[in-house]
Formats: sequence, structure tokens, C-alpha cells
Amino acid sequence: MPKSITYKANSVIYFQGDQSDRIFILKSGKVLLKTQDIETGKEITEIINTGEFFGVKSALGRYIRDETCISISDAEVLAFTVPEFEQLALSNTRIIMKMLKVFSNQLRRIHHKVENMLRKGEEVDAETGLYKVGDYYFNNRQFAQAAFALSRYLTYYPQGKHATQATLRLQEAERYAASGNPGSKGTPQQARPSAGAMQGMTGTGASRSSGGAKEYYEAVGLISQEKYQEALNILYKIISNNSDPENMAKAEFEVGRCLTHLKKFDEAIRHFTALIQKYPKHPDLKEALFLIGKSYEGKGDKPWARSFYEKVISLSQEDEPTAIRAKKAMQSLTGGAV
Amino acid sequence: MSSDFETFKRFGVDKKAGEIIFCEFEPGDAFYLIQSGKVKIVKVIGEVEKTIDILNPGEFFGEMALLEQAPRTATALALTDVKLLEFNQQNFDILMQGNPQIVLNILKIFSKRIYDQKRRFMILKLEEIPARVADVFLMLDENSRKPEDPTDMTRTFNTTPEDIAHWAGITVSKCVEVLNSFQAQRRVEISQGKIVVKNIADFQRFVNSRRRTNT
Repeated sequence: MPKSITYKANSVIYFQGDQSDRIFILKSGKVLLKTQDIETGKEITEIINTGEFFGVKSALGRYIRDETCISISDAEVLAFTVPEFEQLALSNTRIIMKMLKVFSNQLRRIHHKVENMLRKGEEVDAETGLYKVGDYYFNNRQFAQAAFALSRYLTYYPQGKHATQATLRLQEAERYAASGNPGSKGTPQQARPSAGAMQGMTGTGASRSSGGAKEYYEAVGLISQEKYQEALNILYKIISNNSDPENMAKAEFEVGRCLTHLKKFDEAIRHFTALIQKYPKHPDLKEALFLIGKSYEGKGDKPWARSFYEKVISLSQEDEPTAIRAKKAMQSLTGGAV
Repeated sequence: MSSDFETFKRFGVDKKAGEIIFCEFEPGDAFYLIQSGKVKIVKVIGEVEKTIDILNPGEFFGEMALLEQAPRTATALALTDVKLLEFNQQNFDILMQGNPQIVLNILKIFSKRIYDQKRRFMILKLEEIPARVADVFLMLDENSRKPEDPTDMTRTFNTTPEDIAHWAGITVSKCVEVLNSFQAQRRVEISQGKIVVKNIADFQRFVNSRRRTNT
């Protein structure tokens, strides 16, 4: 049971440097926390109001008290041990959420200060930083890792200042990654080059001149025959050959469609999510959202499937084929749930 | 432990050894809990890839992305084949309802990391490198069990020059140089995986004097 303790005005509840597992909540009166700013060493004070917790971080993190705590009026507190506090928090998760927000903020800020101290002025912006990570792995011949970082770079900064260089390096990294371990099965990021780039190596010149259009139709033809894996191989080739942008975008969409049909739902969801980020105005956006819904449904995740179908319907005219299919899918979801 | 995670199966992500889970500087929107395997946290600093941490099953990483989508502060790589649970802001509520204990553990980790980072900042603020190294020992001492005899000032730490260098923000070779000079002054004794500080109070005085002149 949490213990109720009363303090006269100007009593020390705990000293900075004390070790304790008590967490307090202020029931009445006023309490002051005194600590020093870590940068300037100046004293900082914070008033605790009734109903607020204090002493939480040091007790939960099992370290010494970070501040001195003094009652500035007669005060009554409830003292919890860590297990008692946990019990309270678990039955009232809003407490956890609230503290999580505060702590995450503090952590972010102090982390930033430490980073600045270590980097001493050579602050890099996130865009260049991400590119440099790719660059580092590329230079160290860790091509799969380089391909990952560079493709992330291009996802977030398709028009970025290192985009041209990143595209070139990505192609090269993917080629090396594929030839380095041709049998590797890896993730989509790794599987993609090994499926496409190998065949693409000889055909690069030819396919670039056609902009990938011919291959694209070939792939679509295969999809209509339900030969999804074969279609995928061609689609990856179109993408890794850096074909005409329009064909690239179309090919990327078809990759997702194939993955959905191949029941690689996680890959499909990831692929479409990245696609939507990359091409927020993709002509097949609604269809992509619909297929994300389908993939979630395939995974048995009905709530997520439903929310994507709803999204499709909200974005579409009522009589659009995609909307009609989304509605049907919603109905069969509910049907299945009852 | 695995039965705890049954409800979260759909958040499962598998990675093969060597694959990147996320890259430093990319916007973060998910955090991970390791179910099996090992994850390596690295940073590319200049031309070197520095290992910051190696994490085991049951540990979290990427949790700073939880409430704000700021850039990742390090790169996470699968050291072995790994099974992860991936949580983001959308499915965080499901986690909270299904297993608030996990969230409470995150809160504990945050508490500890805030302290570690603050403490590290205090160390880095010291300009003199030997004072930083001494302060790392003080920090390690603060976090360990006090000896039964309070007059006993000898402390044994299971630590390495690499660890100390990391905390002090210096190169390993510089750290070894400082430790050697401490050893020559008979203030420390270095052996395999262990460093004995002869008189922790002496280090405390040393750091205090440097900290005062600093501020």
C-alpha cells in the first residue's frame, strides 16, 4: 500500500544524490525541485502542483536522485514503491502515456546536446547524412547495405541534392550486391537487384532506348496470365535499368500488384507504402491503397484492411470501379466477422 | 517470453544477418523489440563504422521514434538472422491495450537513458581528457553497488578501454594513453577486462576541481 507522509514547510523530502525507489504524488501543499542546468550549472527550480508525480525517473531508472526536493509549505504526499507505482500505472495507462511523452521529449533534447558536443560543430543535415551512410557502405564494398541506404535516400529525397549521384551508385551497388551473392534470398531490397539486375546487365543499353515500354507491356501480359514471378523479374529489370520515369512508376505499381498476388503481403504493404511516399500523385494511387487493404486482409488484419478500404472509398467517386470493389471487400469483411 | 508476443504476431518482421533495419538520418516512425537474434547499432563517423551497442532478445531499439518522427540517430543492422516486432504510432495503442507492461518497460528504459545521457554530457563538458576518463569511473561507481565497508575506496570495474573511450568521447588509443599514465601514477591497475581504481575519492577530488574551474 502506498504510504501517506506529511512534511512541515521547508523539509527536505530527498536530497540530490540519494538513492531511493520511492515515487511520490503530491496530495496537498507545495513542493519544489531544485537542480542545476547541465550546460550552465545554474540552479533551476520547478514547482510541483497537487496531483503531480515526482521522483519518477530516478526510481524507475534506478539511479540517484537528480534533484533536491523541498516542501515549501506544509505538504502531504503519497509514497509508492516501484511495484506499487507499476500497478497503478498498469491500471491507468494514461499515466504511462503522459510520462512517455514527457520523457521522450527530454531524451530527445539531451541526446541532441550530447551529439552536438561529440560532433563539435560539424553538424550534418539529415539529407546529406543519409547519403553519406550509403556512400560509406559503398566505399567499403558492403553493397547490400549501400543499396538499402541509397534507396532510402531516394525514397525520401527523390529531388535531393545528391539524387543523381545516389541513383548512379544505387544501380552499381545493386549490380554488385546481386553478382556478389547470386543465390541470396534476402529482403525485397536485396532480392530486387538479384532478380533483375543480373539479367539487366547485358540489356541495359537496349532497354534504355525503349524506355522500358516494351518490357512493361510484356510484364503486364504475364500478370494477366497469372505468371507473377516471371512478371516480377521483368519489372525489377525495368526499375533497375532506370528506364523512362513514367514506365518506372508504372512498373513499381505492378511490382506491388504481383507481390499481393504472390501472397507476400508484408512485402506488398511495404512496397506500396514506399510507392505512395515516392509518388504521392501516382495515377494508380487508389488501386494501391486498395491492394494494401487486400494485403492486410490476407494477413488476417481486418481493422487495418477496413481502414484502407474506407480510405479508397473516401477518395473515389461512388461509381468508380475501385470504390465498388472496396465496398464489396468491406462487406465481405463484415460478413466474415459476424 | 514468446507467449507474451502471440497477440503481436502480425507486427513481426524478419531480417537476415547483415541486413539494415533502419539507417541513421532516415525519418523514424517505428521502434522494434527483438524476439530472437542480435542487432548491432552503429554510427558511421567520418570513415569509420563505430559499433555503439549490441542488443539481445527482449531489448528495444529505435524507441525514440515513438512519439516524434525525428531522424534516426544511428543505423541498426541485423547481426544474426533476427525476428523483430515492429511498432509504430498506429499500432502503439494496440500494444498499450494488449501489453501495457511492455510500454511501462519502455518508460523505464527512457528514465535510464535520460540519466545516462545527462551524465555523459557532464563528462563531455570536462575539457581535460584525463578528467573525463576519471569521471567515467565515477559514473560507473555511481551505478554500482556500494562496498560494505564505506571506508574502502578501492573499486573494481568490469570495463574496457573501448567502453571508457565511448563514454568519454575520445579515441580508444587516446584512452589507452590516459589509462597508462594513470597506471604509471599507481592510480589504476589494468588487467584483462578489468580496471581497478585504487582510490575513488582521489578521482572524485580530481574531477571536482576540474569541474569547478570549467564553469
